[in-house]
Amino acid sequence: MNANTMSKPTIKPSDSTGSKPGIFSLLKPYSGIVILLIIMSLLGSGINMLIPKIIAKGIDTFSAGNFDRALIVYQFTGAAAGIFLFTFLQNIFQTYAAERVAKDLRTQLSDKISRQSYAYILKSNPSRLLTNLTSDIDSVKMFVSQAFVIIISSVFVIVGTSVLLILINWKLALTVISIVPVIGGAFFIVLRKVRVLFKRSREIIDSLNKIINESIMGSALIRVLNSQQPESIRFLETNLVSRNLGLSILRLFATLVPVIMFVSNLAVVTILALGGHFVVTGTMSLGNFAAFNSYIVLLIFPIMMIGFMSNIIAQASASYSRINDVLDSQLTDETGTIESKIRGDIDVKDVSLFYGDKPILKNVSFSVKAGSKTAIIGPTAAGKSQLLYLLTNLMSPDSGTIEFDGIRADLYTKEMFHSQIGFVFQDSVIFNMSLRENIAFSDKVTDESLDKAISTAELSDFIDSLPQKLNTVVSERGTSLSGGQKQRIMLARALAINPKILLLDDFTSRVDRKTENKILCNLLNNYPDLTLISVTQKISPVRHFEQIVLLMEGEVIATGKHKDLKESSPEYAQIYSSQRSTQHYEL
Amino acid sequence: MPRFIVHNEAPNIMNYNLNQQSDKSEQKASNLASLRKLISLIGEERINLIKAFVAIFVNAVLSLLGPYLIGYTIDKYIQNREYHGVLVFSAILLALYIVAFVVNYLQMRMMGGIGQRMLFSLRNAVFKKLQELPVDFFNQNKAGDLISRINNDTDKVNQFFSQSLMQFIGSIFTMTGAGIILLLINLPLGIAALSPAFIVWIFTRFISPWVKRVNAESMQSTGELSAEIQESLVNFKVIVAFNRRDYFRKRFEVANHDNYSKSVKAGIANNVFTPVYTLAANLGQLIVLAFGIYLIVRGHFTVGLLISFIAYVTNFYNPLRQLAALWASFQIAMAAWDRISLLLSLETNLLVVDDPQCIQSDSFMTFRNVSFRYPNGKEVLHKVSFDLERGKTYAFVGPTGGGKTTTASLIARLYDATRGFVLLDGKDIRSYPPEVRSQKIGFILQEPFLFSGTVRENILYGNTPYRNLTNQQLSEVIAEAKLESLLERFDNGLDTVVQTAGDGISLGQKQLIAFMRAVLRKPELLILDEATANIDTVTEQLLDCILKNLPESTTRVIIAHRLNTIENADQIFFVNSGKVILAGSFKDAVDLLLHGKNES
Repeated sequence: MNANTMSKPTIKPSDSTGSKPGIFSLLKPYSGIVILLIIMSLLGSGINMLIPKIIAKGIDTFSAGNFDRALIVYQFTGAAAGIFLFTFLQNIFQTYAAERVAKDLRTQLSDKISRQSYAYILKSNPSRLLTNLTSDIDSVKMFVSQAFVIIISSVFVIVGTSVLLILINWKLALTVISIVPVIGGAFFIVLRKVRVLFKRSREIIDSLNKIINESIMGSALIRVLNSQQPESIRFLETNLVSRNLGLSILRLFATLVPVIMFVSNLAVVTILALGGHFVVTGTMSLGNFAAFNSYIVLLIFPIMMIGFMSNIIAQASASYSRINDVLDSQLTDETGTIESKIRGDIDVKDVSLFYGDKPILKNVSFSVKAGSKTAIIGPTAAGKSQLLYLLTNLMSPDSGTIEFDGIRADLYTKEMFHSQIGFVFQDSVIFNMSLRENIAFSDKVTDESLDKAISTAELSDFIDSLPQKLNTVVSERGTSLSGGQKQRIMLARALAINPKILLLDDFTSRVDRKTENKILCNLLNNYPDLTLISVTQKISPVRHFEQIVLLMEGEVIATGKHKDLKESSPEYAQIYSSQRSTQHYEL
Repeated sequence: MPRFIVHNEAPNIMNYNLNQQSDKSEQKASNLASLRKLISLIGEERINLIKAFVAIFVNAVLSLLGPYLIGYTIDKYIQNREYHGVLVFSAILLALYIVAFVVNYLQMRMMGGIGQRMLFSLRNAVFKKLQELPVDFFNQNKAGDLISRINNDTDKVNQFFSQSLMQFIGSIFTMTGAGIILLLINLPLGIAALSPAFIVWIFTRFISPWVKRVNAESMQSTGELSAEIQESLVNFKVIVAFNRRDYFRKRFEVANHDNYSKSVKAGIANNVFTPVYTLAANLGQLIVLAFGIYLIVRGHFTVGLLISFIAYVTNFYNPLRQLAALWASFQIAMAAWDRISLLLSLETNLLVVDDPQCIQSDSFMTFRNVSFRYPNGKEVLHKVSFDLERGKTYAFVGPTGGGKTTTASLIARLYDATRGFVLLDGKDIRSYPPEVRSQKIGFILQEPFLFSGTVRENILYGNTPYRNLTNQQLSEVIAEAKLESLLERFDNGLDTVVQTAGDGISLGQKQLIAFMRAVLRKPELLILDEATANIDTVTEQLLDCILKNLPESTTRVIIAHRLNTIENADQIFFVNSGKVILAGSFKDAVDLLLHGKNES
């Protein structure tokens, strides 16, 4: 579950061969529309076959002298109208079915993803999930909208024509039909090879997504360092892999399709040579021979169509199996049943956390009384943020327990738990929505609690200065805001849910001293019962806290009040003295 | 300083929002024009394209020749019971098919190859364009949408080229041939037979812009969907911590539904061609039958000619029906290409210009009456002037939102001033080539960014001189810069693996990497924009030493909230509500900071 062993974005491939649902199984829930679709397509192509008959009849009756113009025109117009109607309906059903499948698959995927743990999202890599939800779904859509009907109707035509051929002359027919298994074999070999390549090419799309994404997130840095050139090269290299994969896939299909056509053409030659022999020796009539010749064209065309569609099928199968990997992934079930309110007593008991083999937290224990204020301080990479993640249940400890009011965190329902704990992240997470939606992120936020949160976070002046006030839409990644504004929005967001417990992860690092003091003051006044745990670098604002936990390299070095730690802990004293020089300026 | 202050009124506020570009002027360019633009982009493929066309042509001829040879054999030999001739022609046919096999293979390889290479160059071109555009562009567009443009839209163009184009051309060959033969056999009947095709042509012309537009809308909605997914996934931890998994689902559902309805619309639009073309084909046959019989009755035509005429009509209308589907995919490709070319047509507003030389300054960095506003925003800086000297340390303090980061961004030329001048080393900053400027100015951004890779890759990112050093040599360089104690904080030193996303590494550690990255580049001016905000104060003292160890001439600009980080500054600027004021002393600055009017 840990984040830094995710260098390979392998989600346990459910390669338990055999049980994997094929691409066709995807259509099961849509049998109604699929059957309609097939009927329309068969009707359309069925009537289409009548047209030559009508023309032939017209010419025959004309030659015979009993030509009924009106009848022919009626029949013809009727057939044409029928074809028009049925192809039109077929196309509409086809589009509708394909988009429905795509939409439902996306909903299923997003539903699954939304229920997954944070660790899963990190491990499976957002770039890959993005490809799943876009390109992979597109391939499946192509399959439904283009390949599926063609394959069904092609198989239909192949079987039908084969029967007709056998009825005419079984010897010649069997010789000709023997091409079908040969073609099937060619398909089998190529599709098996190409499947792997398609899967790889999807993974390359993942990496392209990742590079583009990083180049966007890091766009400012890239420009500061003038490293656009190396970025382009990085992209080019991966893009080159993608191109070469595309060319390898192409090579396979560029062999497969001509082979199929050639084998089909062999059938034509066979008919000419062998059928010609039968006619010459008198075992076959010329009429039957002619019929054979025209039916073989009917047989070859669908075979070729399947050849062209095989590309789409292979691609869709690869994508569908990737989608299934996500759909089949394990969910961390809702284990909690307890709905009671949390008072705010927190007990961290012997908690350890590992990233791979690396210990992040080692047997951390401390407790916090309801309504009290605790600060966690310690050097960079001491495990402070991870400790907060454990407290919010974003991660689970590898050993040890965390209890709220004496009850393990995971025993509470998620709903209950998260609605009582406010978390202000260290890095700013801002959505491309209005300020109101960004702050009132939970739907249970009342206007009153929203206002209180905003004034506590000292955002009122800023929001009032905006022409559209709370309805101002913030750009993606919050690029239109300053660092301090973002941090205060994050604080307001956490406060707006009226939490019992507030976790601050170094939140005032980008807020100026004056504002910070005001905010702390507001917090005490507006949320007097709040249990506060604050990770911080600065000692002075937390000097008066009931408890300070000093964390170093994942271990609790000391716990106590400021004045005690100052005397008892040399490490604490060192940190304190590093900040003392400016102390007399601070309020 | 000259008396007259030249204001360069800035036309450089650009609208970079791809989804809000006004599509008036050149966007109305015809299919042909935008196709030409596309072809010019794949100029080096022209010869391959011609070769592929030849293959397509040969293939078309061969496929027409087959039935003809069979017919000939039947007439000449089978009917006359001459089996030897049958065998000879079977052998000829076999030879023909072998040739067809080879040509077919070549045709697929060549056309597919062109498609793949085109996809490759298109993607590169788009990515390269992204790199040329300024930070502004990225503030105005969403990551997911851009990803969608680079990957999905280019693929749509590729699909047309590698899959549809050869059928497209083949169909047009056959169709034109059949059409000419129809007119040659009997002009009036030919015209009558082709008249439905004419109607189809008008219909196509009439409806194509709509089809293209609906497809463009569908692609835009795909871009929005992609942006939505991207944002939610990147911000997933907030979604989890606030138990708003329903939020993700709801937002996604809205985008998904929008995409669904737009795609259905586009799908239906793409499918109107086939039934209409089929209807036209049937109409053509009916007209030929009725009109042909009328002509026969009049004695202008024969039954035999009518039968072959009908066969040619089929030869004409079958490819036309194929064209129906291909035309739709052509419209999709054109809509996708429009979206791509819109991006490609954007230009950076940060051009390198000649030094106007209207202001003299001996300082290393000079601001003269600099005003700045973000697009659609209010003025962030108003007539700001200050000088930064070589080798000195400056602190910029002030309330959040006061303009500190903006000032720093102007020093590094992430943006250009809306008015006024920014001078680097006595010359207009806009006159420096980017590589020279970025060499001189180091900027540790407020939000540290890491690329997925190792610590080594990250601290050497964009650092050409050191890139090829061995780990051994690099360690020496690092020791010289006194950075080794920072590196020690990473488990595997230079080889520690880091990720862009994820929390395997703390914000403080990211800041350390960003710090090392900037220091190793030995800039002449180094800006630290709250660059150590999440680093503990003990480590910060270490960073202080490292900064002091920088060459004497290095100018340092420190933006910070922590007072101890700025107390050693030579000068302190107080930045608030668009103004940059020089504070007399440290005490002064603190007073301003604590008691000054806070207008943020």
